[in-house]
Amino acid sequence: MAGLATGQSIVVADKMLESAGIKVVQDEVTKVDPVNKTVTVAEGRVFSYDKLFLATGASAIMPPIEGKDLAGVMTLRGLPDAEKIKSYIAERNAVNIVFIGAGFISMEVASLLVENMERKLNVSIVEFMNRPLPLMLDKDMADVVQAYLEEKGLKIFTGEKAEKIVGNGKVDGVLLGSGKKLDADLVFINVGARANVELAEQIGLEMGRFGIKVNKYQETSNPDILAGGDCVEKINFITKKPTPGRLRGPAVMQGRLAAKRLAGYDIEFPGVLDAGGCKMFDMTVSATGFSEERAAEEGFQSVCATVDSRSKHVMIPGMKPWKIKLIFDKKTRKLIGGQIVSHAVAPAKEIDAVTAFILAGKTIEELTTFTCACNPDISSEPSAEPITVAAEQALQKLKL
Amino acid sequence: MKNGEKLVIVGCSGSGGPAAMLAKKLMPEVDITVIRKEEFFIVR
Ligand SMILES: Cc1cc2nc3c(=O)[nH]c(=O)nc-3n(C[C@H](O)[C@H](O)[C@H](O)COP(=O)(O)OP(=O)(O)OC[C@H]3O[C@@H](n4cnc5c(N)ncnc54)[C@H](O)[C@@H]3O)c2cc1C
Repeated sequence: MAGLATGQSIVVADKMLESAGIKVVQDEVTKVDPVNKTVTVAEGRVFSYDKLFLATGASAIMPPIEGKDLAGVMTLRGLPDAEKIKSYIAERNAVNIVFIGAGFISMEVASLLVENMERKLNVSIVEFMNRPLPLMLDKDMADVVQAYLEEKGLKIFTGEKAEKIVGNGKVDGVLLGSGKKLDADLVFINVGARANVELAEQIGLEMGRFGIKVNKYQETSNPDILAGGDCVEKINFITKKPTPGRLRGPAVMQGRLAAKRLAGYDIEFPGVLDAGGCKMFDMTVSATGFSEERAAEEGFQSVCATVDSRSKHVMIPGMKPWKIKLIFDKKTRKLIGGQIVSHAVAPAKEIDAVTAFILAGKTIEELTTFTCACNPDISSEPSAEPITVAAEQALQKLKL
Repeated sequence: MKNGEKLVIVGCSGSGGPAAMLAKKLMPEVDITVIRKEEFFIVR
């Protein structure tokens, strides 16, 4: 979207697959016959299989909002969509761009457009919840992000519903629930995705609420068919409840796990924590597990701690501030979530340590003795190591 | 899977591509075909 890489450079090259000895067919599978174990593609060829792996992904949801069919209303899923958006902006000299939904895709694309377009854009983001990145961040953390982005020129309308997209043939505005009208040459809708399950339904595979049902080895209800990625329902690691979990990490790991299963390994998929990241201008956000709000919705009583830290020792030039919030379950004292908002990229990856601690069932007490690799250029001083400090704060809160 | 058996993978982006590559590595004698409808698979 930013034009920082060519389309060709960001795609999996057929050559890589073919030189490994894998046959590549470019066509749409329109039918699976699970009895004769064949798949048929649109142009009529039939392929027989002993085992089938479904990795059909997900599609962007287009909400039933009036005006969604006007020219200039778009969603983003793959490279062709990105190219369509870019050429629409260039051809129409679009200046007023409205994003509906403040999830990570909107936030990244909005900031990339503002950062990389020569002309000044008027970018607005409309979000129904009370903050940007509502699935990643609690309000206290999101407020920091919102203030930063507003300083960069983005207009963020939270607690607002896009009621109607207006225009004559092509979009020229978005009407909000509050009555406000935003000018728009382009409307970009990012309100979630839906699993592509048409083939699975046609086969008669067991379905869950969020996609194809699979066991811990990626096997579907048909013993010869496995599935993984955005088209399958995941299980949340903490609650063991079904969840969409539509992110690249689980998609890749489930694909590789299916391959291992077919090769005879018995390794189980542990469930997902929805760990993800988002970069906007020079700010990087990452999150894993439950936010404080989501923990409450799931019935946890939580104890939280937020700590300010730095990317380098305080005296080192180029030191940038960052912030972490940790969420613990009061009852078990286990870590169940984390959020990072950072002005440098590297600290945001400390979220992987948080993920590892959640997977390992680490408690507040155990994290008070966590020691990080420390160096003036790559970390805060050990005394300001924020995971440990946050655990100590949580310990204090429990005593009160 | 046994040598000579056929694995067909539908979709080749986040999940299908890695499944195909690792399956070939672990089971070089399995016949693997990847079918995807798009001209390109985005890497994200
Ligand atoms: C703009 C954008 C940015 C994202 N950024 C991030 C990120 O930063 N981090 C992150 O973790 N996740 C990110 N995601 C999510 C991530 O891309 C997905 O979770 C991941 O690609 C899922 O992989 P998948 O293989 O399940 O599905 P997909 O990548 O969607 O691939 C499915 C493939 O199957 C093909 N297909 C479907 N049906 C058929 C059929 N009948 N016949 C043949 N082929 C078929 C499709 O054409 C597609 O190529 C992003 C998503 C978007 C849209």
